[in-house]
Amino acid sequence: MFLDAMGLILADNHKISLGELSKPRALAAIPFGGRYRIIDYMLSCMVNSGIKSVGILTLNKYKSLMDHLGTGASWDLDRKNFGLHILPPYVNSESTSTEDGEEMAGLLDFIRSNRSEYIILANSNIVINTTFNDFIEVLKSSGADMTVMYNRDGTKHGSPNFIFETDKKRMITDVLFNPEKTKSNRCCIGVIALKRTLLIDLISEMMSHGDRNFGIYSLLKKFDTMKIRAYEYKGLVLRINNIQTYFNASMQLLDDRVRADLFWKGTPVFTKVKDEAPTLYYDACDVKNALVSDGCRIMGQVENSILFRGVTVSKNSTVRNSVIMQDVHISDNCVLDHVILDKNAVIRPGTQLVGHNDYPVVIDKGAIV
Amino acid sequence: MAKAEIVAMILAGGQGSRLGVLTKNIAKPAVPFGSRYRIIDFPLSNCSNSGIETVGVLSQYQPLALNTYVGNGHPWDLDRNNGGAFILPPYLRSGKSDWYKGTANAIFQNRDFLDDCGAKLIIVLSGDHIYKMNYAKMIREHVDRGADATLAVIEVPWEETSRFGILDTGPGDEITAFIEKPKKAKSNLASMGVYVFSWPVLREILVEDEENPNSDNDFGKDIVPLMLSKSMHLIAYRFSGYWKDVGTIASLWECNMDLLDRPEELNLIDRNWRIYSRNPIKPSNFISEDATVSMSAMTDGCQVYGTVQHSVLSDSVTVEKGAVVIDSVLLPGVTVQSGAYLDKCIVGFGTIIGPNVKAGASVSGESPYINTRICSEGIVVIEKGLKIKENAIIPANSQVDCDIKTNESENVIEETFRV
Repeated sequence: MFLDAMGLILADNHKISLGELSKPRALAAIPFGGRYRIIDYMLSCMVNSGIKSVGILTLNKYKSLMDHLGTGASWDLDRKNFGLHILPPYVNSESTSTEDGEEMAGLLDFIRSNRSEYIILANSNIVINTTFNDFIEVLKSSGADMTVMYNRDGTKHGSPNFIFETDKKRMITDVLFNPEKTKSNRCCIGVIALKRTLLIDLISEMMSHGDRNFGIYSLLKKFDTMKIRAYEYKGLVLRINNIQTYFNASMQLLDDRVRADLFWKGTPVFTKVKDEAPTLYYDACDVKNALVSDGCRIMGQVENSILFRGVTVSKNSTVRNSVIMQDVHISDNCVLDHVILDKNAVIRPGTQLVGHNDYPVVIDKGAIV
Repeated sequence: MAKAEIVAMILAGGQGSRLGVLTKNIAKPAVPFGSRYRIIDFPLSNCSNSGIETVGVLSQYQPLALNTYVGNGHPWDLDRNNGGAFILPPYLRSGKSDWYKGTANAIFQNRDFLDDCGAKLIIVLSGDHIYKMNYAKMIREHVDRGADATLAVIEVPWEETSRFGILDTGPGDEITAFIEKPKKAKSNLASMGVYVFSWPVLREILVEDEENPNSDNDFGKDIVPLMLSKSMHLIAYRFSGYWKDVGTIASLWECNMDLLDRPEELNLIDRNWRIYSRNPIKPSNFISEDATVSMSAMTDGCQVYGTVQHSVLSDSVTVEKGAVVIDSVLLPGVTVQSGAYLDKCIVGFGTIIGPNVKAGASVSGESPYINTRICSEGIVVIEKGLKIKENAIIPANSQVDCDIKTNESENVIEETFRV
């Protein structure tokens, strides 16, 4: 219902690289799950919670993100009041670099211009479908300065991984970065809620100390001086920290329970609409265990794979255990196994590409193989 | 008021009674077609792609679904500051007021709208044809040749001329006569229901036609002959390409199947002429380990665990494990439960086909639902919002309608619900 909060999504994370996939685009803009970008999930969570003002903080490589988000109309964020704001590094006319923390000055302006009571800050390496209303309620009722989401996935998702230790009142007593041994399996989800005015104070303080590493983790480090309440999320969370976790998370979408939690809970995941034609499955096709998007034409064999919009799989070709992004063309007589093909790649007739479950082959955006 | 020299008017008020239960609660242009479209997406997208940005949608019969579907016109890029999509229902006036009596009367009743737009040309479209057409080319020909009216025509097979409005033409495709469903045609040029008129000319003709108490106020039957009798300059504009009237159950089914058998004809994947639609906001379609899929079209939200052959599935359709769907058209939200068998069926919004139901052209038997007035060629039509009983048998040419009273043993409907 009415949620007196604004959202802020950090589109990049300097601790996370997805190699070829994050080379041409921000982390938030990496395609995930057939017809989405990673940011669609968090943005939809915010919109479904009733948030009407969202800022997206970007560092560089934001062209693809801006193409995707546009005016925010697909998320109903094209509004007269507030709506969607993309916040690229703030470079004023007198300086050409952002060395002195000016991107934080721009962020501060944006947060100050809002009127919401609360702010939700989120990383964009997480795939989740939830609403934040209860999360904010806990912040109000617990008397804490901040609330932060976690689940009990422990350390199995690879770096970066933040593990909490908490007291009986679930207040955080320690935060460990990539610990090798830990007593706790409380693994940070990277979503934090606090009062907007408190965030303004914290950012101003960081700026005056010349500290430029603004992010979820810089806030969590305040646990020794502030009360940070841990909030357990029991639903599905997929973390995308590297190519391997990206690939595993993609494959998990083939599980009915994962799709049920992510897509069929009644809170839709919004994305940019492309108006592609329906998927066409041709006479000789053989498709098993696959997520296939609009605009695809399937004439060959597809198994255990995720196909984005507008993919062509030609005759006598086989695609197995793979993630094939938008508008990829796979010619005749190809065999692809454990590959990730970025947008617009073209696979010539007779090509064979075989990766490994722990090391999928990644083909660049627009590459011709 | 927005100003526009060219205004499109889509006639979307007809009931489409030949589509039976499919149009019981919604107007024909709002009927789903081709997996992710509604019929009206075709004229709306054609307008948008042709650069026509002021579009009136004349609704009358069961307008709720149609009006909410068109909305502000955003999916077709018709949410404009100058122009855009306008829903134009009939309304009460202080003087004489009436429903839309005929296609021409519908335009006549909206003459103020067209005057206020400053329209010089209007293009009248119907909301029941599937085709892709660049109206701009036709309008240019109308202007270049100084015509009073231009009618789009398509050559149809000679043996089918008796189903169409046929135009006789002289040199230069000058129209000499319009004959509705002729027994013996002199020409095989059928009117496509796409008319371009110079608005000041049409306006006078409409006023004159209104004064004739014997007129049905129909474009084909009354307006074109009236213009011909005044020796006005009417020309035929030849269109070649895919065009289909989906006014009957059989033609709606065939047109869906054409997308599978001859996808290159309508060529929906052409990115230079996209057909836009309102998006259901559902994930990509999922084909499970146990599924068998061939020669089929699907869209967002479909989940297939059974067998789907030569069928068109709209969004959010679920086919459970062990279910078989052949030669069928399933509208949004349909669930086909385990062990059910459908062939040549058209199933309405949200209907649940219970376990082991057998329905379709290859199913024989007697049933109170058989309706050869609506259904032909064995096609079975099932109304929206029904739960079909487990093990029910529905023979060829049936129309399952919740308003049909049957005795308990013959009733195939377990419950009805609102969708």
